[in-house]
Amino acid sequence: MAEIDWFPLTLSLRVALIATAFVVIIGVALGWLLARRRFFGRELLDAAVTLPLVLPPTVLGYYLLVLLGRKSPVGHAIEAITGQPLVFTWRGAVVAAGIGALPLVVKTSRTAIVAVDTNLENAARTLGESEWRVFWRVTMPLASRGIIAAAMLAFARALGDFGATLMVAGNIPGRTQTAAVAIFDAAQAGRDNYALVLVLILSAVTLTLVYATNKLTIDRR
Amino acid sequence: MTLSVKIKKALGSFDGGDSQSTGPVTGSLESQRSAYSEGFELDVEFEVPPGFAILFGASGSGKTTTLKSISGIVRPDAGCISIDGEVLFDSGQRIDLPIRRRGVGYVFQDLALFPHLTVQANVEFGMSERPHSDRRRRAEAMMDALRISHTARRRPGEISGGEAQRVALARALTCKPRVLLLDEPLSAIDEATKLGIISDLKSLNRELRLPILYVTHNREEAISLGERVIVYERGRVVARGEPIEVFGTPITTSVARLTGVENIFAGLVVGKSETGGTMTVEISDRSGVCLVDVPFGNEALDEHVTIAVPSGDILLATEEPRSTSLRNRLSGRISAIEDKVNRTVVSVHAGVIWNASVTRQAVKELGLSEGKEVWLAFKTHSCYLLDQTQ
Repeated sequence: MAEIDWFPLTLSLRVALIATAFVVIIGVALGWLLARRRFFGRELLDAAVTLPLVLPPTVLGYYLLVLLGRKSPVGHAIEAITGQPLVFTWRGAVVAAGIGALPLVVKTSRTAIVAVDTNLENAARTLGESEWRVFWRVTMPLASRGIIAAAMLAFARALGDFGATLMVAGNIPGRTQTAAVAIFDAAQAGRDNYALVLVLILSAVTLTLVYATNKLTIDRR
Repeated sequence: MTLSVKIKKALGSFDGGDSQSTGPVTGSLESQRSAYSEGFELDVEFEVPPGFAILFGASGSGKTTTLKSISGIVRPDAGCISIDGEVLFDSGQRIDLPIRRRGVGYVFQDLALFPHLTVQANVEFGMSERPHSDRRRRAEAMMDALRISHTARRRPGEISGGEAQRVALARALTCKPRVLLLDEPLSAIDEATKLGIISDLKSLNRELRLPILYVTHNREEAISLGERVIVYERGRVVARGEPIEVFGTPITTSVARLTGVENIFAGLVVGKSETGGTMTVEISDRSGVCLVDVPFGNEALDEHVTIAVPSGDILLATEEPRSTSLRNRLSGRISAIEDKVNRTVVSVHAGVIWNASVTRQAVKELGLSEGKEVWLAFKTHSCYLLDQTQ
């Protein structure tokens, strides 16, 4: 066990952190939209956002490949702007992990925002505040525990993404091989000790995060 | 500055009424609780010049919906709301100013203080555009005027109900509103604190001269504050005027009940004297019967009538009040004494149960207590024959 390869683990952490940052911004915005606005197709949007939670990861990965692949207009545009493709790079892994985590952020933040008394938001409006400032000064602080919980769940989920990441980013050791994929690889190749180390580390980190999330959302209620 | 309101809004089984929950600004009402299973329409028109106007009525009569319409939280189905000619809402012209542009100060029934901010931050909340020092100075002056400076660093969860009420008031006033809306601000406060806040509200009123629309179903508050009273019943204005007119001379039974005239009795005309200008009515309640003289009217002998006698018109004496012009003199025994905000209500069993309002001083001087024998006296013209419309 002298030569443990830490690359998959550090890649996973980097991918999960960046994915969480993106997905919290998008997810909280969607959660607010679903909690506070009435519009046509609201429940349909909610259902669509929930899909990554229930679809087979391979199906999700397939969609992403088709949508973001080098031959698709979106993939083409990304390559034109950034100079490199998204698929089969670590950035692809960020997208795959982020999409998987999105439902958790939307659901959790929607619940947290619904729990904020609309009277408080209306009071802020009567005091001259715009919708944007009402969100930052009233809604967000009062929903913050739920939103922090959402971010931690998202991070835990992104850290463990396997199927979609494998489809979109591939399994290129030293480039796109995240911890979850590396465990699969090691187990297949009979490197059981290496697999076990990664498994234990991932389990410990995830357990801590989920435990902290529960503490945040259940305590002081 | 004058607030003009003319609105219509269907209040169905989803009536917002006096419920705490508020629909989102987009106008959906699905989150609002039901006040009446069968709906009715709020259809009112009134003006509020500077000073206190009391919006008076039972729960679910549309008072809170009116305030929410003025502030822009609820959108009326039709109508027009303006302050000094500046239109806030007009269904015809499709004008509907957003809440933040209306300049309407609103003290919510549940106060809606921001629980995550200190009292000082709550009071400063609406002045975020102003420079920091200016904000601080104005907040401190306002907290000083409302006597809550000592709570500045605490959070709303750590102050008393009376203090919270003053914080909500200070927060609304620092934004310099053009109109102030108060939704049952004193309903959850003990009597002593209430008197203090009422006197502060009065001095604020003298200073600011804003139109202040004050919702309550408490008669004492209405009388102590009101320059004008607007009485609501199921979405309609059923009476309006100075408190003395509205509370003193009720026209219909429903208004009498709403405005809290304590003595309302069913009776039978048993005698008429056109020359004397009086009729004798036999009234009854659960505890007995009694004869009273009322003003001469068109009612026939043996006709059923309802009469109302405001409790403030009844004189209490410890001996028979002879040689007065008072036609109605009844002797009885005190059955209960109840302290209210600005008066004491003495219940006397004299045939039926009568309620008389007196001052605390009078209770002390006459040595009134339960079981004591007393005389009641009131004028013929203190007995109002009510229309039987409701």
